[in-house]
Amino acid sequence: MTPLSDQINVSAILAADGSVTTREDLCLFTPLKSLGPDARVALCFDDPLLLLRAIVALDGRVASMLLLSGSLDAATVGQLIARAGCAALLTDHPDLGGVAGAAGLEEGIGKGHIAPTTQTTWLMTTSGTTGIPKIVPHSLKSLARSVYRFAPAEAPTWGLLYDPTRFAGLQVTLQALIGGGRLVVADTHRPIAEQIAALARQGVTHLSATPTLWRRILMVPGHRDLPLKQVTLGGEIADQATMDALRVSFPAARVTHIYASTEAGVGFSVNDGRAGFPEAYLSAAPGGTRLKLVDGILWLRPATAAAPGSDVEVDADGYVRSGDMIETRGDRLHFLGRENGVINVGGVKFFPETVEDAVKTVPGVALVQVTSKKNPITGTLVVAEIQVQDGADPAIVKQAILDTCRAKLVREAVPAIVRFVDGFETNAAGKLVRKGATSG
Amino acid sequence: MSEIESGIRKVFAEVWKQEKGTTAPEMKADTVLLDSGLDSLGFAIFVSMLDEELGFDPFTLSDDSYYPQTFAEFVAFYEKYQPRA
Repeated sequence: MTPLSDQINVSAILAADGSVTTREDLCLFTPLKSLGPDARVALCFDDPLLLLRAIVALDGRVASMLLLSGSLDAATVGQLIARAGCAALLTDHPDLGGVAGAAGLEEGIGKGHIAPTTQTTWLMTTSGTTGIPKIVPHSLKSLARSVYRFAPAEAPTWGLLYDPTRFAGLQVTLQALIGGGRLVVADTHRPIAEQIAALARQGVTHLSATPTLWRRILMVPGHRDLPLKQVTLGGEIADQATMDALRVSFPAARVTHIYASTEAGVGFSVNDGRAGFPEAYLSAAPGGTRLKLVDGILWLRPATAAAPGSDVEVDADGYVRSGDMIETRGDRLHFLGRENGVINVGGVKFFPETVEDAVKTVPGVALVQVTSKKNPITGTLVVAEIQVQDGADPAIVKQAILDTCRAKLVREAVPAIVRFVDGFETNAAGKLVRKGATSG
Repeated sequence: MSEIESGIRKVFAEVWKQEKGTTAPEMKADTVLLDSGLDSLGFAIFVSMLDEELGFDPFTLSDDSYYPQTFAEFVAFYEKYQPRA
């Protein structure tokens, strides 16, 4: 496998502070002697440029890299490093200085060139609702599979609005680094209107975001100044209203939404600016992936034999059960949500039971049912219906529910709407009857 | 001030109190919604609570593919899609 440093085609990376990093600057560095081919290195940076420098220098030259979001707290970073068996942590966080093995980037890489000798495992973390994120191993080959190589004359200017240590952000980053063009990195600590103005000033032509983030961009006065040729939506179900609004705001852009199945390890993109995907994909889907519907659930067979995870269902023909529910409307297949009830709020996914478990601990709560409600801004919102114990004051219980959930859960999983009910429907076994939750 | 506008102001103050725990800032006609201090999630909650309070959601009713940017545009959007008796 060719290391990342030998695949760099990006012409320049433009940071929010105006600094420019060229292809040559990016490829100047290599690991110092302390980090050999057996080293397991954790990376946690606030400055995305430092992260990019590190992954280019280390890929192919260390055993594994653990990519950690700069937004994680020191305790979580420490636990993830221990779990991944990393002896070194390269970071620009002053408050991570106490973590064992912590050092600045300059103590891990320096100018020079060491020939690549190994295939590096890229350890990514998935956002969890509670507790510690999960670590998922990838390879550069699998991460860069969908990268499109642009001819120099057509080279795009990519905008990066995502955290590059997360899957969606890394996809944009690798596309720009390997596929060619320029990459403009937004300062995600700034208000969205400032980020969009900066991307517009730098002439960003290609931008990827979740539908929720796109709707926020559509509310930025001046968002039409983005000279977009490509608008990409991913991470949540893309709805027609949002895509229509994007077409109005960016008439010169192609509007693409991406479907990705974690279970099958593949996905496909839809380029016609319409929600869902054509029924014709069931006979021939892009990229050679085979699709079929069984009882309203989408199954996929990857073009190349992928190694699906251990907990996925595969049939005799090699199709993997995606768990995504589909509804056919005319010649179009629409995504309805997850069969396991997972709620997706603005791209953050979690089980309703996780929220219920948190709510149940609140004094005064007798019964709770958590569902989702469609929302035009974030796709869905969390609704908690509560039956209080006799004598409990609903106003006090509601505040306690919010306080408890805010302490235990990610913000998206905190009930947005708390309703008090007199009772619930229960089945013969005395269990709550879960109403058909709408996922969006 | 229309009944819709006063309803919107009341719900905004409630959402702000719930999400931020402080008194909501004053919304002027030309206040840009994104500068109001509510993020996407806060804004989503605002729209859903308006749906519960007013009984309709213009974002879902509208075929216009429109996203209001200022408070005045937001109020006008709700007034336009207010169900007629």
